[in-house]
Amino acid sequence: SFPARAVLPPPRPVSLGVASAQRPKVIKTAAMDTDCVMHACGSSALLWRAAEARAARRAGIVGTLVGALARQPRQNARLGRPVELLKEEARLLGEEEGWALSHAPERSEVRLAEQHRERMEHSYAEQSLLALQERKAVLQRVLAEKQGADDDDNRAVRDRLGNLDDTFSFPRSAMAVQLSTARAGLGHDPEERRFLVSELLRTRDEQFEIRFRVFRDLRNKGFYLTSGGKFGGDYLVYPGDPLRFHAHFIALCVALETALPLCDVLALSRLGVNVKKTVLLCSPSSEGTVAYTSLQWSGMA
Amino acid sequence: MGFSEHGKQFLLPEEALYLMECGSVQVFLHGLPLSIQEGYEMFLSPSTVTLQQYEVFSHLKRLGYIVTRFEPSCVLSHYERTLNLPVQRDRQGRALKRKRSHSPHSERPADEQEGEESTEPPDHEAKNQRFDPENHPDSLTEEKDQGEVEDKPVAMESTSDAVLARNWWVDRSPRSPMSPTRSQAPRWDFFTITFPDLGARGPLSPLVAPDPTVLPGELSVSECELTPWLQRLNLRKERLSRREQEREQARRRYQRSVNDDKEVRRCGNWAEYQELLRRRRRHHGQRDRPPHLWESTVKPLVQPGQHTSPGELLDKISIIKPSRLLDGAARLEEGADEWKISFDVFQPDTVAEFKKSKPGKPYSRLCVCSFEGPVPDLRVLKQLAFQSGDIPVTFAVVDHGDISFYCFKDFQLPTDVSH
Repeated sequence: SFPARAVLPPPRPVSLGVASAQRPKVIKTAAMDTDCVMHACGSSALLWRAAEARAARRAGIVGTLVGALARQPRQNARLGRPVELLKEEARLLGEEEGWALSHAPERSEVRLAEQHRERMEHSYAEQSLLALQERKAVLQRVLAEKQGADDDDNRAVRDRLGNLDDTFSFPRSAMAVQLSTARAGLGHDPEERRFLVSELLRTRDEQFEIRFRVFRDLRNKGFYLTSGGKFGGDYLVYPGDPLRFHAHFIALCVALETALPLCDVLALSRLGVNVKKTVLLCSPSSEGTVAYTSLQWSGMA
Repeated sequence: MGFSEHGKQFLLPEEALYLMECGSVQVFLHGLPLSIQEGYEMFLSPSTVTLQQYEVFSHLKRLGYIVTRFEPSCVLSHYERTLNLPVQRDRQGRALKRKRSHSPHSERPADEQEGEESTEPPDHEAKNQRFDPENHPDSLTEEKDQGEVEDKPVAMESTSDAVLARNWWVDRSPRSPMSPTRSQAPRWDFFTITFPDLGARGPLSPLVAPDPTVLPGELSVSECELTPWLQRLNLRKERLSRREQEREQARRRYQRSVNDDKEVRRCGNWAEYQELLRRRRRHHGQRDRPPHLWESTVKPLVQPGQHTSPGELLDKISIIKPSRLLDGAARLEEGADEWKISFDVFQPDTVAEFKKSKPGKPYSRLCVCSFEGPVPDLRVLKQLAFQSGDIPVTFAVVDHGDISFYCFKDFQLPTDVSH
């Protein structure tokens, strides 16, 4: 069949009323200054704090979770923080939301070490108190259950209860400690915040420009985009939050003048048919708009 | 996980980070525990393990695989594999414990003998007592007698048991064992030895008695009558069923015994037989070879009757030779820095038997690459396959958290004809 010029349908409005799929146009001001920071790790941008991940989601940036989930670390079905962002997502957050990108700062150790020790001591005291209370409760429950039964046992238990305040010791090794995911404290050095996003994306090439323009355009139309490598494309386009919808399109970014070999077009369209998604060829034009072409393949039965 | 050096236990950075994420380990720096973010920032770098490699590492470890770093020096070459050397996993240079060698050595027992001959009687008794402590005095004297008997024929029997066990095959007669016997002419005259034909149908002469000099000790063998032995064999004529008879007839119809040919029977030895074959081939060839085919400049590749099997024939006329992945891989230089094998992966069910000192052969080796990067070409595939030895190489392609595994397998087109 022939590829047809398609007009993209507007995305469905979200019925829950929590967040609207249609994002209002952002007016960039110099005063737009959020507290959110992306952290560079190698050549990718990561989000570490839960607040930052939520803020990004509200801005329509999905990202991928790549860390181990704290409560269930040894499985791959659900992962946890950090959130890894596509380069385009990082650039969009930097340009439109005013996020900054920071690299690993130096730690000021001495003061923090003392604070940490104090906190540990405090935590230890609290936990030992709680443990003592719990022990007492357990023994009292035992006593209550055994009312009228063996007198020897009861006496032993009562003795233990009486001596508990003196004899109870909470071992250090039983203390619960917290391993924080994000860096404690400010999370970044205030002076470092002024890193521009373009620092990360120094290796800008033409393909990246094309991809970014397509990304921004689709995002402005209200679609949610994730990485499309699973399906052989550049992006997967969702009409709403990916947690609620299946992808509708596989977006491929090509320059306007490139000649696509027919085998590639055929392969793409067959792939789209097999996974029930429409393949979109996206090409940014020089005027600033993006031209979209959808492919549909139907076999001759 | 980890390794020990100078008596301390160390963890590799990716292992430490994985354990931190699982909540099993806290890493302290300057008295402060590291958060996972700091762990990522400090432990992951291009010089140790990149973020993508760590994603693959943790993905596989969460699934239960055992993932270790790849050491190119630990890969055995093909030659070393054929030698079947013991695997030296510990790279700290600890020498293998040298076991006391018990190899037989003709000089040493002689020395030992001379040294120990003087002590022979008491050691001998000691040996007897060691072996039979609870025995009756009667049996003890029996042992002693046996021991004395043993001493006589082999004059220089050593007392040490181990030496005895090692050297029974060495001839210890007073004359030197090896050289004199070799220089003598062989004792056998092969022209006078006859091999009796026990299958002949006629009356058989009895077998002559063997030369008494070749028999050990007081053994004596007389003439042997063959008829009673042959009677014990089953000489009944075989009675085939009708179907088997038909099969035999069919076989005999198409089989032609070489000995039926009169010309072949006239040949006295192998040289004459080969000459006959050559003569026959020449005669047949002249009949089948038209001159326009065989005398012109372009001749057929194959002569009729030259190859016996269709497989050989195909080999001779094939233009495209099959090639394997490792062909020419040894000649490729260590090229691109970007394609490197990062990890060894071992199967999860071998967790119980896995030992750091003796890990065994990995299930696969991993090369981590990014989805945006280039696809590996044949040169890279050959290099990595060669580096990896006989273990297949899997490519782990990371696309912002999504990992797919690809493997390039060697494939030979099946040939229809067996060799």
